[in-house]
Amino acid sequence: MIRQVVTLILAFVGGFLAVGGWIWAPKISSAMSSLVSTGPSVSMFADANRIGRAETAPVIRSCILKVVDLGPDVKQLEPSAAYHILKAGSMQANVSTMLGKSDRWSESQTIALAANWGELANCIFAQEDRGLCDPDNRAAAVEATTKFFAYAKQTEAAKATIPAGEARVIEGVADRLLISLKNHRRYGTLAAADFGSFASPEIMRIMREEKETRDICKR
Amino acid sequence: MNLLKRAAFVLGGIFLGINLINYFVLGHTGDYLPGGERMGEWKAATIREACYPALESPERDELLPKLTSNEHRVDWRDLTRAKEMTAALNCYLVTHPNAVCERNNRAYIVDYINRYFAKFDEMMNTARRYGETEMSAVRNLWDSPRNRAIDAALMQDTGNGRLIKADFGWSVPAAMKPMLDRYKGTSDNCPKA
Repeated sequence: MIRQVVTLILAFVGGFLAVGGWIWAPKISSAMSSLVSTGPSVSMFADANRIGRAETAPVIRSCILKVVDLGPDVKQLEPSAAYHILKAGSMQANVSTMLGKSDRWSESQTIALAANWGELANCIFAQEDRGLCDPDNRAAAVEATTKFFAYAKQTEAAKATIPAGEARVIEGVADRLLISLKNHRRYGTLAAADFGSFASPEIMRIMREEKETRDICKR
Repeated sequence: MNLLKRAAFVLGGIFLGINLINYFVLGHTGDYLPGGERMGEWKAATIREACYPALESPERDELLPKLTSNEHRVDWRDLTRAKEMTAALNCYLVTHPNAVCERNNRAYIVDYINRYFAKFDEMMNTARRYGETEMSAVRNLWDSPRNRAIDAALMQDTGNGRLIKADFGWSVPAAMKPMLDRYKGTSDNCPKA
């Protein structure tokens, strides 16, 4: 009797998983990939001496308030808090993507995030090159660049519906960042191991193809 | 016998797992303080609610920890926590100096003192990576007038036996060890009910 009940329960659970999996698998898969593409930006296997804490990086102190507009009280805000606000906005967008929300609002949110992370990355790379010898600054550069390319990829996917002008702006930022990445790869300030396994192919291609010509961090 | 061993192993695992979750995930470190006549139930401490107003807007209190320069690597979450913990402990020990005499309050306050010093140690460990300047910034942060008032209250409470080494069990904060050793054996001067 007990064996029959157990068999019945197992059959029910098995059937539920098989049918449910068949129906929800594409949704789960796309949700996971969207989470991964905008999720971990800094490699978990990176050398702890190379990658520090992005939120407390001096470059964030100089750049974040140019990117995140928080109104007149912004002067009182700690730059690391403003950085977390930007990250929290990204998380909210990720949740919307996971839930399969794809409307005009979520598209404009993705464009805005791509623009913000791109502007932040550009500002970081506009600082002194040797600044990226600092592990915190390097972590900030890696995170901003990875996040920018992840959101740029999403806007690329929605190219048909976004205004051409905005798409061109994002392409322009991407081109400038790729040049900066090339330079920093040559200077030895950035390496493939600094980026997570889910970094965009453009970044990983540069990290693999370009060679370090000198180490500007060595005095 | 074999079955008994297996059952004991499973029950032991469940007991250990529950306690590890309680300590590390839920953060109920107060459950692991020594019991006895002096120490009550931390969850029943009345001082906790009595001090809620002190935590309402710590940003308005100019005497709480603040960073004096922009050249630092302190995360805002650590800064906020340092302010909150200082405001709370200041209320438990300085604003209500007799609160520590009540058993439940003592258990809660002892646990909070542990957390307070643990946070300082954690921030110092992070600062150590950046060198002496950063360590000095963190030390200065934790040296506000409120922190100094807490230090003085702790010195007084150990001096008059309101806090003793046995209250802390195996988790005596390093900063308090010399104080507690110095006044070992002092009987408390709490007002008798």
